[in-house]
Amino acid sequence: MVGIVPAFLEMARTFPEKCAIECDGRESTYAELAHRVRATARELGTAPGPVGVLTDRSEATVVALLGILAAGGVYVPVDPSFPAARRQALLEAAGCTRVLGPSGLVPVPTTAPDTAADGAHRASPAPEAGDPEAPAYTLFTSGSTGRPKPVLTPKRAIAASVASLRDLFALTPADRVLQFASLNWDTCLEEILPALTTGATLVFHEEAYTGSIPRLLRAVAATRVTLLDLPTAFWHELVRHLAESDEQLPDCVRTVVIGGEAVSPARLAEWRTRDTGRVRLVNTYGCTETTLITHAVDLHGPGAPGPGAWWGEHGGVPVGRPLPHVTDAIGPDGELLVSGPALALGYRDLPEVTAERFVTRQGPDGPVRWFRTGDRVARRPDGHLVHEGRLDAEIKVRGIRVDPGEIEAHLTAHPEVGVAVVVGTRVEDRTTVTAYVVPQRADADDAALARQVLRDLRASVPGHLVPHRVTVVPGLVHTAGGKIDRLGTHRRHSPAAAPSAPAEHRGGLTEQDNR
Amino acid sequence: MSPDDMVAIFRRVLETDGVTADTDFFESGGDSLMGTRVLSAVARAQGVELTFDDLLVAPTPALLADRVASVSR
Repeated sequence: MVGIVPAFLEMARTFPEKCAIECDGRESTYAELAHRVRATARELGTAPGPVGVLTDRSEATVVALLGILAAGGVYVPVDPSFPAARRQALLEAAGCTRVLGPSGLVPVPTTAPDTAADGAHRASPAPEAGDPEAPAYTLFTSGSTGRPKPVLTPKRAIAASVASLRDLFALTPADRVLQFASLNWDTCLEEILPALTTGATLVFHEEAYTGSIPRLLRAVAATRVTLLDLPTAFWHELVRHLAESDEQLPDCVRTVVIGGEAVSPARLAEWRTRDTGRVRLVNTYGCTETTLITHAVDLHGPGAPGPGAWWGEHGGVPVGRPLPHVTDAIGPDGELLVSGPALALGYRDLPEVTAERFVTRQGPDGPVRWFRTGDRVARRPDGHLVHEGRLDAEIKVRGIRVDPGEIEAHLTAHPEVGVAVVVGTRVEDRTTVTAYVVPQRADADDAALARQVLRDLRASVPGHLVPHRVTVVPGLVHTAGGKIDRLGTHRRHSPAAAPSAPAEHRGGLTEQDNR
Repeated sequence: MSPDDMVAIFRRVLETDGVTADTDFFESGGDSLMGTRVLSAVARAQGVELTFDDLLVAPTPALLADRVASVSR
């Protein structure tokens, strides 16, 4: 398996004058990008360990990513818009001693003196430059304690996954891929790495990130983007916009990749009416712990079967079959298990959580390591998986995995909040996150408290951890065993959840794909 | 675009009648994805392509209508 950096440098030798990155109209060739990547790798030195990167929508972030990989380090993207305390916590959890940002390479400021000394020797042992088991990047997933869990992804995982994705996307050097996903989640690597190891062009455009779909569509047309990779929740909004404005997707687009949560059959039906027969619509599934995409299926377009082949009434829209580098299995409780070279090394410094989710089972040819996804699935006779729900309380917020416990931990840290539960409910194609909080003081003004808690949360945590609604309640509902009952609390206190609403049981709750 | 027109857009997107000219979008269940619907509706009605940042600094129907007026002037 050819590593990411050698594959990129091979493209730089093959197409030195070809445009690698177009950023708001400015072009950089493959030769120029390779030059900057080598310079960054030299600055970092050999095996620099985990390096934080304050990401922005520009070539600089791609140079940092490839430069860190080329030096044998571990790329750790951090959103500069996150509150400072959270940025610091992420950098420390990933073991970063240095961070690359607009002002160059600087030491990570340390909060506690002993963390600094510890951080240096705790940094991952310097790997052999070519060791495929060496970590390549660290991304975070939601943790129930309020602290995100750092996922360590090795070089072999990213190499195997990106090789499959080049084939899945059928990329050629003529392709132009929009960089749309947040640079702090793994979806952006689906955009960046297959493109830059194919000789294709990666396009950044400031109008794509404004939240305005008309501006996005104009930017896509103006920069002749051929491949779009969108969170399913955003794609739902795009389809609504096209239908309500009676517009079409720009002609240059040939492939739209979606993923992150369940596809709405209604939006899919609308998509089919928008003259999209020439566009591949590819639904995908994957977890951070199994590296980018592990399952995919063409839902519509040239490679898809005709209408009604698999969407509609029977069990929802499928998430597809395993990609060539993936082996899957379904456990006795319906849980999807994934194995193969794309599995992460585990959660950094969290051996117990790692042992719980990454399990080794005896196979016919020896022990096999599996990742337990926590997703309940069923396999259709044609081999495509259909997602049926979660085995735990995890929810998806605009495509991002969120453990309700993480939001609850932030809520209960608020001085005016006693206890709290968080519930995700799905109505049509959208997830609403509701927090039920019990005031610390009995004389609290409910409406004012709800507003204050929401405002304070918006100021202190990233947007995906801010509930849509905060409802102040006198008490939470407990199970017979004395545990807090999230669903019971929701049923008792939600105005929408009338006692007769049967959707409340399973269908109404957020039960989605795990991307 | 009058504040009343904007109230109607907010009501449709937030799926509640409890919206007045001074209702804060983000304190009434609105998020960035629902924000795209407000921006698309304004673009259709008025031909003005606001951004999510406009909604962040002008999160009520009254403020956002003012913003549309100042942009289209």
